[in-house]
Amino acid sequence: MRAYLPDYELRVPKDLEEALAFLANEPGMWKPFAGGTDLMVLLEAGKLEHTKFFSVWNLAELRGIEVTDESVTLGALTTYTEVRRNSILQEEFPMLCVAARETGGIAIQNRGTIGGNIVNASPAADSPPALLAYDAELELLSSKGARKIPYKDFHTGYKQMKLRDDELLTGIRLPRTTKSLRHYYRKVGTRKAQAISKVCFAGVAKIEDESVADVRIALGSVAPIVLRCEKTEAVLRGKSVDERTISAARAALINEIAPIDDIRSTAKYRLRVAANLLEDFLKTVRDGELN
Amino acid sequence: MSKNEKDKNEQPLKVVGKPFRKVDARAKCTGQTKFADDIALPRMLYCKILRSPEPHALIKTIDVSRALKLPGVHAIITGRDLPIPYGILPVSQDEHAICIDKVRFIGDPVAAVAAVDEDTAFDAMNLIEVEYEKLQTVTSIEEGLMVDEPRIHDYGERGNIHKLVSLEFGDMDEGFAEADLIREDILFYEGNTHLPMEQHAALAYFDTDNKLTLWSSTQTPHYVHRALTKTLEIPAAHIRVIATPNGGGFGGKSDPFNHEIIVSKLSMITGRPVKATLTREEVFYCHRGRHPVLMKVRTGVKRDGAITAMDFQSFLDGGAYGSYGVASTFYTGALQTVTYEVPRYKFRGARVFTNKPPCGPKRGHGTPQPRYALEVHLDKIAEELKLDPAEIRLNHLVKPFSVTANYLRIGSMGLGRCIEKVVEGSDWKDKFSGWDKENRKLPFGKGVGLACSSYICGAGLPIYWNNMPHSGVQLRLDRQGGVCVQCGSIDIGQGSDSVLAYIVAEVLGIDPFDIRVLTADTDLTPVDLGSYSSRVTLMTGNAALQAAERARELLTIAVAEKLSVPAENLSFAERRVFDVENPEVGLSFAEAVVLAESKFGTIGTVGSYTPPRSPGHFKGAGVGPSPAYSYSAAVAEVDVDPMTGIVTVERVWIAHDIGRSINPMLVMGQVEGSVYMGLGEALMEEMAYRANRNVVHKFPSLLEYKSPTTLEMCDVKTYLIEDADPNGPFGAKEVGQGPLLPVPPTVANAVYDAVGVRIDEVPITPEKVLYALREKSKGREGRFGPKSIPEVDWPQPLKVLTPEEGGDGREMPHVAVHS
Ligand SMILES: Cc1cc2nc3c(=O)[nH]c(=O)nc-3n(C[C@H](O)[C@H](O)[C@H](O)COP(=O)(O)OP(=O)(O)OC[C@H]3O[C@@H](n4cnc5c(N)ncnc54)[C@H](O)[C@@H]3O)c2cc1C
Repeated sequence: MRAYLPDYELRVPKDLEEALAFLANEPGMWKPFAGGTDLMVLLEAGKLEHTKFFSVWNLAELRGIEVTDESVTLGALTTYTEVRRNSILQEEFPMLCVAARETGGIAIQNRGTIGGNIVNASPAADSPPALLAYDAELELLSSKGARKIPYKDFHTGYKQMKLRDDELLTGIRLPRTTKSLRHYYRKVGTRKAQAISKVCFAGVAKIEDESVADVRIALGSVAPIVLRCEKTEAVLRGKSVDERTISAARAALINEIAPIDDIRSTAKYRLRVAANLLEDFLKTVRDGELN
Repeated sequence: MSKNEKDKNEQPLKVVGKPFRKVDARAKCTGQTKFADDIALPRMLYCKILRSPEPHALIKTIDVSRALKLPGVHAIITGRDLPIPYGILPVSQDEHAICIDKVRFIGDPVAAVAAVDEDTAFDAMNLIEVEYEKLQTVTSIEEGLMVDEPRIHDYGERGNIHKLVSLEFGDMDEGFAEADLIREDILFYEGNTHLPMEQHAALAYFDTDNKLTLWSSTQTPHYVHRALTKTLEIPAAHIRVIATPNGGGFGGKSDPFNHEIIVSKLSMITGRPVKATLTREEVFYCHRGRHPVLMKVRTGVKRDGAITAMDFQSFLDGGAYGSYGVASTFYTGALQTVTYEVPRYKFRGARVFTNKPPCGPKRGHGTPQPRYALEVHLDKIAEELKLDPAEIRLNHLVKPFSVTANYLRIGSMGLGRCIEKVVEGSDWKDKFSGWDKENRKLPFGKGVGLACSSYICGAGLPIYWNNMPHSGVQLRLDRQGGVCVQCGSIDIGQGSDSVLAYIVAEVLGIDPFDIRVLTADTDLTPVDLGSYSSRVTLMTGNAALQAAERARELLTIAVAEKLSVPAENLSFAERRVFDVENPEVGLSFAEAVVLAESKFGTIGTVGSYTPPRSPGHFKGAGVGPSPAYSYSAAVAEVDVDPMTGIVTVERVWIAHDIGRSINPMLVMGQVEGSVYMGLGEALMEEMAYRANRNVVHKFPSLLEYKSPTTLEMCDVKTYLIEDADPNGPFGAKEVGQGPLLPVPPTVANAVYDAVGVRIDEVPITPEKVLYALREKSKGREGRFGPKSIPEVDWPQPLKVLTPEEGGDGREMPHVAVHS
């Protein structure tokens, strides 16, 4: 049942400094409100714990896509629509564009942000697998200063993350090292739009002399967090993609992930589909079809 | 009807059969239509209903004192304020607008507030304190049959069994003895809900003259009128129910609902208008949707596929209340006989109460489940006999104008032409791989399936026993040439208002857009029973036809006299009345009305329609008879991804025997909408429950209750078969529900053709497909579905000799029955 609206407070800070002050002055009391597409669902369900919010929507520092020779940095407020339309992302980080295209529907894509997707910390979120496979780095800011953290170290457990009470996520940095990679992204949900994933797979690989020179794999909806599957990667690195490697990789993946039964699917289905997608990924990159 | 046949011969139809726009199309498309929630009255209060968080519990105490003190709260009522029970069927008067001492599912109302605005009402609702004493829950068909205590209701067959039905037509032993093959299958069809875009809303105003008006998004204003009279204890003559245009109904707005009674009562108490608009979550709790049904079907066939006997059992999870459930139970066994000849037929059905939102009628009411079972079963029989699925059906069709073993009188029957159309249109012969899956025609993963169905065109009997017409139409002719059609029927988006206008326009030779259509207002319109059971086009159509013909008669007499032209020479067309032999000799329609009014006084006519009597006279013969039956056949082409189990329906070819299209565009719209809804049921929709022993709705929201989007919707090729039925107005039959029925089995059969696994449970989810594929790869049966049915102590069957055996439609006297 919907929560009672007058119980909630939503403030609009005039600048970044004031926004950070909300966080610093009453630690743990205030939460940022970006597109609100996760927060409003909780509100409607009467499950929104915090009652004090400040909107970050107007903070210019958190917007925009910045490109340098080494990296592309997305402001935390970058929307899915912006991701879909960005030509550098389309060219060098295509999995992120596919993830954006398959997230929610048009309205959600106009309003939902990559930053919100990360901090909401759903294990079923669709951009994090792509971000993990692209070795993203997060930029965090508090009134005490800025810091960076590799995205793969950010989520520590179900809805747990290395974000201090006084910190905002400001940007997501993607190193431009993807040119020689093959990309494979597949979201499996109940329908083609407006569906939260049952399994989401993102993988990149570099094949040299018919063997795996580099590989990065991440999956959503198969563990308490979106998982970078480093053990499976280790099984693959340096190997040629043959039936033996594929079945060893399948076995490694099944050990590495820990899906559960929930309202959307079953643990068994997720295990099976995750392994099938891994196999399809390996065959696809081996046979040279690019995503 | 003979009169119209004559017209048809005389001159081409001008309106009927033409793709006119709907009479309300512009208002709908531009957002001008006023739905129930759009109506606001001065000094209106808002109502919120407190609903039980417990699935099964006694109400120990309710304390509203804190809530009453909240500024802005005008009234709070509890069950004691509305002590009289009601229910749509006379045999199931088991609901209270607000629970009195016991709640039966999560969502059952326990109190209601009227306050100055929605937020205040909401806040007050949260201040009401209720103490519950939890009772053990009953959560499944199996538990409903086995757990006698605690009882959810203190009526029914016994324990938590609401209804048991056992009927036997003809000598079953003989039937099975004649068979070359006897096959048994067990299948399950999960429950799902209507998902109308408009959430239910109702506004009541009890005015200073002590008259109550209720505006409500209901499909059955007449039954709501009756329920209000009963529960509020005020004379029917003081109550006016206005059904507002429904933003979709699909059967979900066919019961009288607690919120309708509650706002009425609150208005009586406060003297102010009171409105309630349900949230989407509450709509999931109102439900009355598709019953989950477990089925076992056993059929004997000859080598050529001719059925010798069929024994069908169904088990329905009814949820917490009766609703239409007794009728639903009969419907799961009624229409198996109207497509292919079933010379001997036995049906047993059981409906149980469980602590879940009540089930009721959803598009196809009780028949999509058995139709799915039957058509998949027939596909398996065809495989065993190595017969083509189209051939086995085509070769054993029920004959037109015949009576079935269970005494349903068939009229026109265009199923054969439907099958031929979809077989041809889909290139069935080039796509269906046959039963030897080694020599595939389509690659592995692609397949086609075929299924057929039939549906009633209106129930033969009303919901409460009476001898009055099922539909009435009143026509007023204005001396300026205006025509107003008044009828109790309610347009739920299907176009019933338009059908009234088209038919009257055809008969009177005027433009349908000249006609004022005034419907669904119990003060102003004659009774029509409501928009359910696909009855409206046939029944109100016939009533409108009669009223219009009577009006034309009056005009004809007056004009014939004036022009000195023989009456039979007069024709009505292009807003004129003229001599067919001498078309310049004539008058405008308006002039004709002036002549008639001068001669006869104010011109108004009425028409009514009562369905023909059914040949069945046994107990239970009331469900199934209809003035006519529509038929559909469909082929689906699917793609099944063995990696994920995802089934994509790529194309559907569907042919529908409509009798005659009053408006082919509206007919196509209903066909495509039915395919869409059928695909949702086939592939993903389910009322699923979890936790608390499976009584908490898994996802009462549009976000997680998955129904297809436009991206899932496939191309549909629709063929209309026009085989006019003598009982339909201009030969028309139904289309609102029937075309949904073949869709789920068509998809299931196509999945089998594509990847060789049988999914004997709807919805056909990727989880089930992948499970069956894995079973198959391990050398086990490639199937997902139920394996057994519960034991039931069935009552002695009521036995009826079939017409073939010389039966007269009455049950045989009870003699000692051999075991
Ligand atoms: C209909 C619907 C469909 C959806 N479909 C999908 C889908 O297919 N795939 C998917 O992954 N998600 C989906 N979502 C979820 C949601 O849209 C995404 O997670 C979205 O990216 C959230 O972004 P937001 O800006 O709206 O976050 P908000 O709701 O504003 O915030 C989410 C959380 O992040 C925190 N937060 C936001 N910005 C910052 C910041 N800069 N620094 C620190 N904390 C911050 C907030 O405090 C909050 O806790 C769907 C949601 C809906 C309603």
